[in-house]
Amino acid sequence: MLSLKNISKYYKNGGAQVNILNNISLDVDAGEFVSIMGPSGSGKSTLLNIIGMLDEPSDGYHYFMNEPVHQLKEKQRSALYKRNIGFVFQAYHLIDELNVYENIETPLLYHDVKGSERKALVADMLDRFQIVGKKDLFPSQLSGGQQQLVGIARALIVKPKLLLADEPTGNLNSKQGEEIMELFRKLNKEEGMTIIQVTHSEKNAAYGTRIINLLDGAIASSQQI
Amino acid sequence: MKNKGFTAINIGGLALGLAATLLITFYVIDELSYDRYNENANRIFRVDEDLKLGDNKVQYAVAMPPLAQTLIKDFPDVENVARIKKATIIVKKGNENLTENNAIFADPSLFDVFTLPLINGDKTTALNEPNTVVVSQSAAIKYFNRLNVVGQSLTLPGQSALKITGVIRDIPEQSHFKADFIMAMAGWADSRADEWLRSDYNTYVLMRKGADHKNLEAKFPELIRHYSGSQILKAVGMNYDQFEKSGSYFRMSLMPLTDIHLHSSKTGELSANGTVQYIYIFSAIAIFILIIACVNFMNLSTARSSNRAREVGVRKVLGSTRKFLIGQFLTESVLVTFIAAIIAFCAAITVLPVFNDIAAKNMTINGPMLLWILPMLLISVLVIGCLAGIYPAFFLSAFNPVDVLKGKLANGFKGGKLRSALVVFQFAISIFLIVGTLVIYQQLKYIQNRDVGYNRDQVLVIHDAFALGNQTKTFKQEVKQLSGINDVTISGFLPTTENRGTSIFSKDVTKDPKKSIFPQTWRVDEDYIQTLGMKLVAGRNFSSRMGTDSSALIINETAAKFLGFNNAVGKTLYRNEGDDIAQKPYTIIGVVKDFNFESMRENISPVVMTLDYDNGNLGIRLKSANLPALMDQIKSKWKAIAPSKQFVYSFMNADFEATYRAEQRMGQISIIFTSLAIIIACLGLFGLSAYAAEQRTKEIGIRKVLGASITTILKMLSLDFIKLVFIALLISTPFAWYFMHKWLQGFAYRADISWWIFGLSGMAAILIAFATISFQSFKAATANLVKSLRSE
Repeated sequence: MLSLKNISKYYKNGGAQVNILNNISLDVDAGEFVSIMGPSGSGKSTLLNIIGMLDEPSDGYHYFMNEPVHQLKEKQRSALYKRNIGFVFQAYHLIDELNVYENIETPLLYHDVKGSERKALVADMLDRFQIVGKKDLFPSQLSGGQQQLVGIARALIVKPKLLLADEPTGNLNSKQGEEIMELFRKLNKEEGMTIIQVTHSEKNAAYGTRIINLLDGAIASSQQI
Repeated sequence: MKNKGFTAINIGGLALGLAATLLITFYVIDELSYDRYNENANRIFRVDEDLKLGDNKVQYAVAMPPLAQTLIKDFPDVENVARIKKATIIVKKGNENLTENNAIFADPSLFDVFTLPLINGDKTTALNEPNTVVVSQSAAIKYFNRLNVVGQSLTLPGQSALKITGVIRDIPEQSHFKADFIMAMAGWADSRADEWLRSDYNTYVLMRKGADHKNLEAKFPELIRHYSGSQILKAVGMNYDQFEKSGSYFRMSLMPLTDIHLHSSKTGELSANGTVQYIYIFSAIAIFILIIACVNFMNLSTARSSNRAREVGVRKVLGSTRKFLIGQFLTESVLVTFIAAIIAFCAAITVLPVFNDIAAKNMTINGPMLLWILPMLLISVLVIGCLAGIYPAFFLSAFNPVDVLKGKLANGFKGGKLRSALVVFQFAISIFLIVGTLVIYQQLKYIQNRDVGYNRDQVLVIHDAFALGNQTKTFKQEVKQLSGINDVTISGFLPTTENRGTSIFSKDVTKDPKKSIFPQTWRVDEDYIQTLGMKLVAGRNFSSRMGTDSSALIINETAAKFLGFNNAVGKTLYRNEGDDIAQKPYTIIGVVKDFNFESMRENISPVVMTLDYDNGNLGIRLKSANLPALMDQIKSKWKAIAPSKQFVYSFMNADFEATYRAEQRMGQISIIFTSLAIIIACLGLFGLSAYAAEQRTKEIGIRKVLGASITTILKMLSLDFIKLVFIALLISTPFAWYFMHKWLQGFAYRADISWWIFGLSGMAAILIAFATISFQSFKAATANLVKSLRSE
């Protein structure tokens, strides 16, 4: 599903070149649940952003669903990730002015889904995450765990093939975090959703099918569980 | 760095607004200061007359010749009275004869009533003798190149020389009359006429100190009954009571001197006056602009508050009281306003000459003016600074330091309902101004394109043709022979010249006012109608071959309507000829299509034309393409007959335009200030959109991750503002319609306010708003995603 070949990311700081990612090659198959681990500054988030096409690598080849991403134009690239990738953020990144229902509905607006169909899809999602009662609340009225549920619901509503999560439990207490991880495992097992998450926690990483350790912008180890 | 931009927008907008307001203030003050140079301005009144005869109503700025004497003699409240009679003289300078239009006849008391200091000569004796003249400083320089000219003489061709007995300082610009040559009334025999029905003299009364002019006014009806009554009996065959009973009236009133310039537009004014309406309109525009500028200031200050919230929090934690913070913000606000005021003042002085050009003014900033302008400006700075700063000051200082430092409040200002309301308000005003400007221009265009009933293109008007004396007809024949000339007419009464005359025509010999009209009575020749391209709707033109045409009339449609004639041709009218009461019968031979001969503010009034000789002007219809050559030929014909007389000419279409110069100026000025208002509003919008985009960086990032395209983001950001502009359009439309409708009511002939004006204004406002915010929106929409989403 995903193939990175010799991906590097660096930027110039004054005269010196600062490397963030160094010659990374990585293949992820459909149905995998990959956890990326590593100390702060090891390049985990940058790698995730590149996979999610929010950021561009300085060098290397990037294939997603057999498309050469590194050759695509901005517009084609955004069409590609819009159709296939869902994002979950550590800080949830819900839109403060919109209520739960509207937050979940937003991606559908950008996918040109019709009104009646949107209604049905959002209702399904609210049902599935058992947050029907909270649909009229605003993000500031929810706990962190609830906010992250809404964030995941929002990511899943467009039925992505790949779910990217950047420290999804980073702002949550352990109980809330476990719930989110259980949800991820269920999604992966029961629906075959491909998931790549960045995490600090060994425990969370263990929910996945493979753990990749990054160190100084390079892959230090990769192990199947 | 960001703050610098905001501060620049803040100061720039405010400076622009203040500069515009200052210019308008100069203008308004200048208009309001008319005639106040007179030390006794508050005690001087002009005697005006209102006459209604049948359906005709006329308001005069002039009064009867003997009135002045009677007022002094019989009314103890009156300290003095001075009469002015407008005149035109031709003065010889070297070999040339110059026409001087700024000449008046005046009573010796002129110098007691008005404050016109003499720099040479004795004001108590200067105007006592006939054929004496007091000249202005500029006239003295013009003719003698020095100031001490008392004892010198001015030569008037064909008339007695005028002995100069005094030199006055030039009459200030802000005077309702201008005079470079003040001739002794004693030399004008008509001034002693004992006629109480004729209004010819601008008569100014100086009331005694403490006397109430209302008391004097109250005695006027008795005065008229006493003096005019018997003459009314003679003229219309009924005594004063019957005259009044028939619905006609003859009244006098007092117009305060200082009101004349802005409130008087009557028959017989000494010069064209201003209109108070423009003062109102310009003052409103000035206030609007100032409000828009202040609103910007408030908007941008509160918008930035989240950036400053942290500062407030830190200061509070460090022990600053709320009072101190309010003081700090107010001081900042006043300081910014002060800087803006300095820039505005310099800018206003720099562009004053340009503004003078447009407004046809001669305003200057002088020492005494600075003495009150600077303190006024300082007070304004304090008031505006506090007003603009008070909301942000209280708003910001109220922050709870704990919340602020936690960053909780930073998101709390996004809604900004008040800010939206203020933007709506600004744009409502801007749209109002756009609509106003469009309506003014539409009306001007309407005036220019309206069929005025005659053809003013390609008509050369030769002025003061009486200089040709009895050779005028010869000149006419000679000019007519030239190739390139269509027609020539001799008449002092042209639609675009000032010369007017009235007389009374009755349907029968009983002189019953109900059967009479009081029309413009114009002496024309048989070529008049065709030279001016007027159309006869009935009957025929005058003909020199018909011997009886000396008692024939051509009337206009309005006259026919006033007289109640469906078919006027062949009807007889009786006219009072001069002093004797013989009624001369005239036969109507034609009806001419109505034509506009006054400003389109006025309805067309009745006109009666007689076949007579009046060589005040010549009207020449040209067809030649080679105008300069033709003009040379006409001029040489003139010089052959009257070598020493000035050849003064104009073109009829230019004269026509001149009638509407005030409106055109008004249009130009409104366009300038409307643009300024819009620019200032846009500056504010630019700042706000920059702020909004900045505030929403994260949201935009999220939306893009969720699949929003750049276009979608642009649409979203712009729509928010466009919505506001749209609301503004809805709000301002009824107001704009109402006020412009009222303005148009001042014109008897006017264009309708069409719906497209509002459509266009709205479109313009939306386009301008869109252009202003699209830059910021585009920047925000294309910003780096990863940076936008980085968690703090």
